[in-house]
Amino acid sequence: MNNSVIIKGNKYGIVVVLNPDDDFEELKLVIAEKFKESSKFFENAKMAISFEGRKLSTIEQKEILDIIAENSDMQVICIVENDSEKEELFKKSLDQKLMELSSTSGQFYKGILRSGASLEFETSVVIIGDVNHGARVVSKGNIIVLGSLKGTVFAGACGNENAFVVALDMNPTQIRIADTIARSPDKPVKDAVKETKIAFLENGNIYIEPLSKDIIHDINL
Amino acid sequence: MGEVIVITSGKGGVGKTTTTANVGTGLAKLDKKVVLIDTDIGLRNLDVVMGLENRIVYNLVDVIEGTCRIRNALIKDKRYPNLYLLPSAQTRDKNSVNPEQMIKLANELRDEFDYILMDCPAGIEQGFKNAIAGADRALVVTTPEVSAVRDADRIIGLLEANEMKQTQLIVNRIRMDMVKRGDMMSSDDVCEILAIELIGVVPDDENIVISTNQGEPLVGSDSLAGQAYMNICRRIIGEEVPFLDLKERSGIFGKLFGKRRRN
Repeated sequence: MNNSVIIKGNKYGIVVVLNPDDDFEELKLVIAEKFKESSKFFENAKMAISFEGRKLSTIEQKEILDIIAENSDMQVICIVENDSEKEELFKKSLDQKLMELSSTSGQFYKGILRSGASLEFETSVVIIGDVNHGARVVSKGNIIVLGSLKGTVFAGACGNENAFVVALDMNPTQIRIADTIARSPDKPVKDAVKETKIAFLENGNIYIEPLSKDIIHDINL
Repeated sequence: MGEVIVITSGKGGVGKTTTTANVGTGLAKLDKKVVLIDTDIGLRNLDVVMGLENRIVYNLVDVIEGTCRIRNALIKDKRYPNLYLLPSAQTRDKNSVNPEQMIKLANELRDEFDYILMDCPAGIEQGFKNAIAGADRALVVTTPEVSAVRDADRIIGLLEANEMKQTQLIVNRIRMDMVKRGDMMSSDDVCEILAIELIGVVPDDENIVISTNQGEPLVGSDSLAGQAYMNICRRIIGEEVPFLDLKERSGIFGKLFGKRRRN
């Protein structure tokens, strides 16, 4: 019995173990034979397939799938990759994206955001500078402005109702948290004392209040 | 090696052309060799303000297209032999020139002139992009009102994005009586929003209207605006000049003793 191709399997999928040293064309013939022999066993099962023992290019994988289709009634639904490099890559991308979406991390931006400028962030952001009239900041998380906020801000851009906005001088033209939007009063009120304020969403309304210990206590990340 | 300075604002009507004419004339009065270039193709008016419109034969587009040499298009000023004007074309539009051509022109002029002033058109499109190409320094002109400051902020953002090496602010047409009443922003208020170095504050002065209509820039004259513009010129060449105290001059005593008091 030629052991250059071994088929292992369970109810849901098969592993085709290929000899790494054999010539590919010869292997294809053996594969055809093996699948023809076992076609009754598999009938028209829907299976996942995985290759072991030999590194295959995408073209080679396709050729094998064609042979299987020609020689048996089995339907290959997907190929399961065993590539450790790819696995590492996926893990890295996934971790990074999850971190971005996580509410406990953020990034810094230094500089004055001038009129007409628009910045969008996946994470929360601390802006070290002013946000002038006509500038726009969008974040999926929270927005903290270490300066004066006169432009428009949009926090919790993916629907996060716990998002908040803090500014040393809070005078936004428009403020939006998740799905609620609020605008500045038509007649500007001149505050005698400039104090740090926080804007947050409660009961469908946006409240802007001085940043006190109580409010900090109530913040949910 | 000459310095290329662009005078821009974003908003129209705040005083770019008046500033270009006065600063250019002031620098010429300080014995510098100066050329003024009107880059507002289609709506030229620097020649009118300088009183040189009847001397125009060739213009900026002719030079760029190679119809004539730069020498032929430059117009020598009526009063100062070291001051020249390169007028704009009235019958073309801003797409007749591109930034690369402007850079080439500026480089050709650098060898001959100490200062090359570009009068930028209003807006942020092709005219603006043409005028700022090749500039070493930008003077942003604004009036102390909300819409002008908003546009100036936008322009400063664009200048920063275009890596302009030096950006300075001129607050124009300020009225100290209105500032005192709280009806107008002070130059400090404007500076707080725009956050760039202030190089001059020019008060609103009816003499400017007169000088524009007559085609004779008033820089260096006794009027407040004239002195303010001359101070700007001196700051450009590197002198440290304290800012005029505009507040004290707006009463009757200011008018009586104004001429004696030099800050």
